Amino acid sequence: MDTTRRGFLGAIGQVTIGAAASVAGAGQSASAEGTDVPHWGMVVDLRKCIGCQACTVACIMENAVPEDAFRTHVSVYELVKEGQDPAMVMLPRLCNHCDDPPCLPVCPVEATFKAENGEVLVDASKCVGCAYCVQACPYDARFINHETQVADKCTFCFHRTQAGLLPACVETCVGGARNFGDLNDPESEVSKMLRDNEVSVLRPEMHTNPNVYYIGLDDVLDGRVAGEAAYHPEMADAVQHHGEGL
Amino acid sequence: MTNRRNILKGVAAAGALGTFGAGYAETVQKLARGKWSGEKPRDEHVVGNSIPPEFSVDPETGDVTLNPDQAMSYTMCIGCTTMCGVRVRVDKAKNKVLRVAGNPYSPMSTDPFIPYESSVAESFAAMAQAGPGQGLTRRSTACGRGNAVLEQVDNPRRVLKPLKRVGPRGSGQWQTISFEQLVEEVTEGGDLFGEGPVAGLREIRDLDAPALEGAPEFGSRANHLVWMNCVDDGRDNFVLRWLKQSYGSNNFTRHGAYCGGAYRSGSGAMFGDFKAMPHAKPDFTNVEFVIFAGTAPGNAGNPFKRIGNLVAKARADGDLSYVVVDPILNNAQNGPSGARARWLAIKPGTDGAMAMAMIRWMFENDRYDAKYLAQPSKAAAEAAGEMSWSNATHLVIVEPDHPRFGHCLRGSDMGLSIEGEAYSETDPFMISSDTGPVTGPVPAGASAAPLFFDGVAETQNGPVAVKTALTLLREEAMSQDMEAYAKDCGIPVEKLTDLAREFTSHGRKAAVSSHGGMMNGSGFYNAYALMMLNTLIGNLNWKGGTMIAGGGFPENKGPAYDLASFPGAVQAKGLPFGRNVPYEKTSEFKAKKAAGAAYPADAPWYPNAPGLATEWMSSLVTGYPYKAEALIFRNTNPIYGVPGVAHLVDEMKDPAVVPLIISIDPFINESTAISDYIVPDSVMYETWGFTKPWGGVATKATCARWPVIEPKMDPNAEGERVGMETFLIAVAKRMGLPGFGDAAIPDAEGTLHPLNRAEDWYLRGAVNVAMIGAPVSDASDEDIALSNVARIADDLKATLKPEEWRKAATIFAKGGRYENIERSYQGDKATYAFNPPMLVWNEGLGSFRRATTGTRLPGTPAWRAPEFADGSKVSDHYPREDWPIQVISFKSPLQNSYSVGAKSLLRIVASNPVNIGRDLAAAHGIQTGDMIRLTTPGGTLESVAVVRAGVAPDTVAIEHGFGHRGFGAEDITIDGATMPGDPRLAAGVLLNDLGMLDPTRAKAGVWVDPVSGTAVRHGLPARIERI
Repeated sequence: MDTTRRGFLGAIGQVTIGAAASVAGAGQSASAEGTDVPHWGMVVDLRKCIGCQACTVACIMENAVPEDAFRTHVSVYELVKEGQDPAMVMLPRLCNHCDDPPCLPVCPVEATFKAENGEVLVDASKCVGCAYCVQACPYDARFINHETQVADKCTFCFHRTQAGLLPACVETCVGGARNFGDLNDPESEVSKMLRDNEVSVLRPEMHTNPNVYYIGLDDVLDGRVAGEAAYHPEMADAVQHHGEGL
Repeated sequence: MTNRRNILKGVAAAGALGTFGAGYAETVQKLARGKWSGEKPRDEHVVGNSIPPEFSVDPETGDVTLNPDQAMSYTMCIGCTTMCGVRVRVDKAKNKVLRVAGNPYSPMSTDPFIPYESSVAESFAAMAQAGPGQGLTRRSTACGRGNAVLEQVDNPRRVLKPLKRVGPRGSGQWQTISFEQLVEEVTEGGDLFGEGPVAGLREIRDLDAPALEGAPEFGSRANHLVWMNCVDDGRDNFVLRWLKQSYGSNNFTRHGAYCGGAYRSGSGAMFGDFKAMPHAKPDFTNVEFVIFAGTAPGNAGNPFKRIGNLVAKARADGDLSYVVVDPILNNAQNGPSGARARWLAIKPGTDGAMAMAMIRWMFENDRYDAKYLAQPSKAAAEAAGEMSWSNATHLVIVEPDHPRFGHCLRGSDMGLSIEGEAYSETDPFMISSDTGPVTGPVPAGASAAPLFFDGVAETQNGPVAVKTALTLLREEAMSQDMEAYAKDCGIPVEKLTDLAREFTSHGRKAAVSSHGGMMNGSGFYNAYALMMLNTLIGNLNWKGGTMIAGGGFPENKGPAYDLASFPGAVQAKGLPFGRNVPYEKTSEFKAKKAAGAAYPADAPWYPNAPGLATEWMSSLVTGYPYKAEALIFRNTNPIYGVPGVAHLVDEMKDPAVVPLIISIDPFINESTAISDYIVPDSVMYETWGFTKPWGGVATKATCARWPVIEPKMDPNAEGERVGMETFLIAVAKRMGLPGFGDAAIPDAEGTLHPLNRAEDWYLRGAVNVAMIGAPVSDASDEDIALSNVARIADDLKATLKPEEWRKAATIFAKGGRYENIERSYQGDKATYAFNPPMLVWNEGLGSFRRATTGTRLPGTPAWRAPEFADGSKVSDHYPREDWPIQVISFKSPLQNSYSVGAKSLLRIVASNPVNIGRDLAAAHGIQTGDMIRLTTPGGTLESVAVVRAGVAPDTVAIEHGFGHRGFGAEDITIDGATMPGDPRLAAGVLLNDLGMLDPTRAKAGVWVDPVSGTAVRHGLPARIERI
């Protein structure tokens, strides 16, 4: 009764996803394998995502993400393939911490930079909040934080990995879908997962060399699928929606 | 490997420029460099407003260095009924919970969980990059809701002081009163509201006056105090002590009758206990094939995270394939897992048709485990290498007019000399002889017995027709052909047989699992039929089959203290308010029988059910079987949760119907809103309690909850925080009730210890948990420091004996007590086996008469279309032509009935549009986004439609947890100050507003299942239109 048409439809149109493709030689990141300097990466096993949104909320709590944005969340799809039963796909989304990040060259003040362990970060003391990077990101992973007035995004929980901890979303992943570690270490769990599985990345045509990989993505989004986006509204009518962020 | 570098060390933060000016200057500043320009956000510029880490862990050594500003404590989440062990991160200075993760000791949050002997420091390191698998192996989680519900602690609409209504009930107007005034008024009564005299708790507790004149079976007037609980959050033992043993009322109920009670009752029928209702769950890690019907692993359920985690791993890395049978496609299915995770649409409320079709096929194709079913006793089962047994071979009296119709034939019926009483445990069950032609029954012995028999037993009172239980089940299954079953459930015959074939192709490593999706008009028999599939393949107690819970370490009766009994305790007596006992025990029955017509009773009775909150609503408003004088709601919300209850709310608001309603709750929910007084209570991390898993955990596990932050409720005059325990202790002392005060809790030597504060109870409970079996080791100073049990160390030392307090401290430092995971199995068998037989025929069920009809029902699983209380078909009252569709509810992965105040959840899913299948939508010209109107015989609602492929034909599905009027959805006025209702909290619709009364009940009551007495929220007949 209080569900308004406008709030609901506004949410539907917002979810976008790129085509996915298998990645040959996954794990060969920009930094050479075998160095002592970790290169962080995430491997998301979609077979294990239960769509509980624990990651989404843990990220909000850990990073004080403002009400109108997400640093990460899980898109929920009902996929309908011709002649098959409909199927659910839960797709965790976040900054892909690309090795060739399109957000970086567009920054007029060099606030966005690639950190030593591969994270794409924003130096808030330099950022002017122009939002060029928000426009440039092919993953809709950035937003202007209305509290800090600067570009904001997933940091792979930089402050936690610096302390030897896991990113909040990984620590709390109920199904064990999100896996995090050092892609430069061939013995790391994520390196093993990349070796043992066929993996995909989002929007490979953008040649961003992302460090977020997916297991089980290409099977359901191979270009011949009629996909229906998240079927629930994401924002109440009473909340201002800025259409930024994930 | 991880080198400590601070990549921004060289970036000097600009010096503080002072406070920004308003207006133009600030804008310029922002344009130039952002809001942080010139301000030092913290020592890092790259993480936004992220909170500082709770501690650091050296990735090489695992050494833990605490953040002195934060506390990390293991306690319990109560974001849902699973009650997981969690790790709470607290800003000490602000007494604020920052974030919640899992407790790696707890099987509810971690798999595999860490050994209990691990120190707290080791538990911290296990979840960090230093842990096995770079911290991934032992990661310990909170779910989406579990991550969000910390927001309830700081919810601005929390009740922190005692409230008393102003004006009529439900007006939303309140005044704050002192704790002392609260206790005085509810105890002593009087003209409390200017509406005339109200009996107080002291007057109502008259143990000599009858609850109902001329009907001594109902006990004393003290039973006029009735207590409605939600779920046992680990404090119910305290409540039950006060209510039953001190106050003397026998009337206590929980929420199961409008939650998942139909499933529990159906399972209870097979497990042979209608009150405790045991249930088993698949051994998710080792099972190969599961049919989930009426439950959705990973989407909802209990234990939510554990099932979600185990199923996700098993379908990705293990051997599990499964089918989710559900009218709506949800997160339990998983596209990337392909054929490992399938969805099968079914018509609402027809799972029994599917199950009975499968059973029929199994009989016709000899696909049941004959060797298992043939064992007529535990001894026979053991001799045959079976892990459980059933009464499949037992003979049942089927002679219609026989006084023992529906009961099993026993040795005493045959004139055998037996030890003990006839029909007691020592009276043997009879089986048929297998020596050629019928030679008469013989006592069940230690070897296999014939599965099928249909003949006559020569009893000492003459010949009696008997059949084996399995014969009766087969007859029931064969009473309808496959095509008819297929038509009823909407699953084609081919799929039904495929399902049955696949289910019977994995030996014992297959299972059927169910739960809350059985809340329909045929729910009890549907659940019994589904569960019987497990018995037909003999999977109970086997690794890879189904297993019961391992249990826990009880806090109330242990080696150190007896919290379960005390000097002067009274014995609460009387038939319960919810009529879950045989009608034949009542004076009404006797009087009517004497008058010539014992049936029908004035209202339904449910002898094969536990306490029934749903039926309580009818008892409350109709005063049948007797009138309640005072009602306590504790953290419960039937006014939101019971389908169709809206039709009874006006009566509930009338003080002439129930004169005194007290709520104990941190919030003003829909039920609290119609109470006279509200006792503020603690929220999750502020409160004490001990719980064990409902199911799905093979080892013993007790989760301990303790106040890891300072509770926010106001203190009373004695300086104690007001809350449930404080309130009950104060009332008990004022009334002089036994069991409270300075000499209340006996220790092992019989010395009495005080019960003046919550701590007196729960700390001693923790000692019991610690001391059962081999006692736990003492908590080290480091454990106490790292877990911040230091916060309660003074209480531990002051309350407990010197040799006890460090053991209790271990229970709190590790968030409970957990058996190690290696105890799950003994070889290929469950360590904790369920020993009583599986009942293919349930005597209690097969022999009782429905009070409203005087007729009987089958004692085996069966498929029956829904009926009202008078035995008429629901479809005769509401024919398909007029009510062409059916409405169901389904559980949300995020919201439940009390989580809406955790505002982050609404950021993700803000409302619950109505799910409609494509064909139905097309037939009505409905497109996603259109407004639609749903009408049932019980009500109407309007909402937005979402058209999906994943909805069964002619079905509309509504997610539960929205459509609130309480919790701040509407205005709340306290002491004249109004906090306006928040439309976000009111978003969406509530299926229960479409719930129905049973039109055949003379005394008003909602539509319930005829056996389990549980609410009906699936399969409501309805009409839909686009508006």
